[in-house]
Amino acid sequence: MRFITMDVTKCVVCRNCEYACSFQQTGDFRREDSNIRVEYYDDVKICLPLTCMHCDDSWCLEICPASAITRNVKTGAIEINSERCAGCKMCILACPFGNIHFDKINMVSRKCNLCEGEPNCVSFCISGALQYTESKNSYQNNRQIFQRFIENL
Amino acid sequence: MAGSSEKKEHYTSMCRMCDNRCGINVYVENGCIVEITGLKEHKWNHGRLCVKGRLGVDLVNAPDRILKPLKRVGSEWEEIDLDQAYDEIAERIKKVQATWGNRAMGVWKGEALGFLTQEQLSRRFIHAIGSPNYFSNDSQCFVSRWIGYALVTGDWATQDFINSDCAVIWGSNPPYSQPNLTQSILKGRKKGGKLIVIDVRLSAIARQADEFIQILPGTDGALALGFARQLIEDDTICHTFIEKYTLGYETYARYVKEFTPERVEKETGIPAAKVVQLARLIGACRPRVCIYAGNGLEHHENGINNIRAIACLDGLLGNLDEVGGNFTAEKPNLRNISLYEEKPLRHLGPIGADKFPVLYDFRQECHTMSVMDTILNETPYPLKGMILGGANPALTNPNTRKVIKALKSLDLFVVREIFMTETAELADYVLPGATYLEQSELHVHPIHQIIGLSPEIVTFPDCDNEYIFWKKLASRLGVEDYFPWENKDALNKWLLKDTEITVEKLFNHPEGYEYKPRRFHKYREKELPTPSGKFEFVSSYLKKYGYPYLPEYIPPTYMNEPDPDYPYILVTGARKVFYTHGRNRNFKRCRTAIPGPDIEIHPIDAEKLEVKTGDVVTVTSTVGSMDIPVKVVHSSNILPGVTQITHGWKESNVNLITHDDRNDPISGFPLMKSVEVKIERKAVNVNN
Repeated sequence: MRFITMDVTKCVVCRNCEYACSFQQTGDFRREDSNIRVEYYDDVKICLPLTCMHCDDSWCLEICPASAITRNVKTGAIEINSERCAGCKMCILACPFGNIHFDKINMVSRKCNLCEGEPNCVSFCISGALQYTESKNSYQNNRQIFQRFIENL
Repeated sequence: MAGSSEKKEHYTSMCRMCDNRCGINVYVENGCIVEITGLKEHKWNHGRLCVKGRLGVDLVNAPDRILKPLKRVGSEWEEIDLDQAYDEIAERIKKVQATWGNRAMGVWKGEALGFLTQEQLSRRFIHAIGSPNYFSNDSQCFVSRWIGYALVTGDWATQDFINSDCAVIWGSNPPYSQPNLTQSILKGRKKGGKLIVIDVRLSAIARQADEFIQILPGTDGALALGFARQLIEDDTICHTFIEKYTLGYETYARYVKEFTPERVEKETGIPAAKVVQLARLIGACRPRVCIYAGNGLEHHENGINNIRAIACLDGLLGNLDEVGGNFTAEKPNLRNISLYEEKPLRHLGPIGADKFPVLYDFRQECHTMSVMDTILNETPYPLKGMILGGANPALTNPNTRKVIKALKSLDLFVVREIFMTETAELADYVLPGATYLEQSELHVHPIHQIIGLSPEIVTFPDCDNEYIFWKKLASRLGVEDYFPWENKDALNKWLLKDTEITVEKLFNHPEGYEYKPRRFHKYREKELPTPSGKFEFVSSYLKKYGYPYLPEYIPPTYMNEPDPDYPYILVTGARKVFYTHGRNRNFKRCRTAIPGPDIEIHPIDAEKLEVKTGDVVTVTSTVGSMDIPVKVVHSSNILPGVTQITHGWKESNVNLITHDDRNDPISGFPLMKSVEVKIERKAVNVNN
């Protein structure tokens, strides 16, 4: 399976990923509609992109009382079926990373579905901070990134 | 997007939503462009695209596109037949020529319509009809950096960021201005290289800098000379390069002695110890040092000499034409279609060439600021007709009021555009332009030494491409011999004739065709293209015109002669992610994300002015005043006393208050980035 990895030493908070994701969802450039979120902390100059990691042991999937959350067998993505979603927000509470958000207009939870295996956020990431890589490479990649990041603090 | 693309026709091309020209996939369904994505194999962007690139779909299909020729009748627009438009325009050009002489006509090239050949075609046409008056956006953007570097090295090198040990981004914000350059810069850094960002604002790229240096506007020359002094003192300079390939080192080394770290601190606001530390960091990484000079260095009164001072660092570091340094790309041997050799016409007095001869010598650019005075005062001679394509000076040139007055007073003003811009509104005729997706053109990426060809993907009945436009007009003016090629394909073939590259080869290489493998240290075999053949720390050419021999530093006026009535320094032109200069404001989804203009203000200044984000202020310079909402930014983003307004907003047009007549004496570039202003809180209307 492939994951989206996020390099905090490359992100420049240009927000192309957020706009591209929002466009994919709604056709507009509204950051609130994006499934990927990028935080910038002015005081410490830290750039932090965050999106679903499609956990092996997915608490959101387990807790969903409507069985609306399933794993896509082809891409491995954890997906929310909005037809089934009851809008109870249990998944939002369960996600330890805050990677699920609530769509107040349609009253359903929203999260990344890896765009059927071609994630838009990655295609529109102009810094190279986001990569769509095999899981066996990604943990090494992440370790290296954080190692470097901590060394430079 | 993904999934259903199999049913669609697929083309590969290059993006022209900015000047980066990324490789793109274009998908067409039922004759309509429906999708644009990044082209994975392209050597420049590796499949990545910014959201601006995807906006090409909005551009080509925009409901507000001009698709019919328009003629002004009183205060109304009348749709007319395309042939009738050409006939009438040709007749009126003839009338201008007969009444005022050939040089009373001008052309003006913008950036909204084409790639490489567009400029050359405009130049060819205007010389063909006997006038030397070619204008473009370049006389206030890009070209002064080119000249600054060319005065020193004969060319403006490109940066081999990927292999660099130290990248210096000086006055530029690539994530917004050249999005996919960001990839290369950060790849180099990932390999252990250091990233230094020197800017007035904490830009997007500065967020990842190892060293972010917040400099006072327009003082960059002092910092560069201070670096030079420190490099020489520490003896971290490349002696072989200096001895064998440079001119004027001794004189230059004597001059830079004045720029002690303490003096640099006084001029630039950067602590003396920091200046020393940075110079040592750069010196230690030599020769694998990339220095990129951005648009932030232009638009100052001492612009060229500040840029020269930065360019001179290459001579000390020996990073010129070096792996991981400032690489001097070789160009493909394309044929030139401009007529400067065949029909130079300099004796006719190209506008601005008398006042700014360097601008004309180096780039054959007339001066777009002087032309407004020429139109209004008929000095040194009348200019009565202008054909402008894809530019919007009514928003992007300094001193908007004068620009509008001048363009309105032309006898004949023809604009070719995609949209009814603020400039098109002033025209006598507006002809529909063709976008980059509607014409086949050549383009070169120097850093990889690759060339590509964009195909004509769709067409619209009345939107003639660049070549056909000039050809049709030329045939009505009796100069059809200068446009003998049947169409753009025939022209492209002719341009490639002296190379081994063919149109077919280019279509088979959508990733970019390498016209020549990259070679380094070419100066060892062949002299540099400067008057002396050497790297010039000093310029006899400039001295001949009475300009400084050395890259002298003169502090900006706001420091030399501060005016208490205008206590704030206004910088203009910082880029926004969706917008290229005056363009894309008409796309609704961009407005969702960045709805309108603002003036960036430091929290200390906001407190002094008693304003908060969203309050409207009046900003006044000696040129004029304008109203704009405030955005109080984080204290790290901008220095107290310094403010920033992005250009290109009709509703708060910053060029109402920028200077067209305070110019860099060498390049003629206008003062737009260290403008003295006063800021006043706009009185709250009690009735609201």
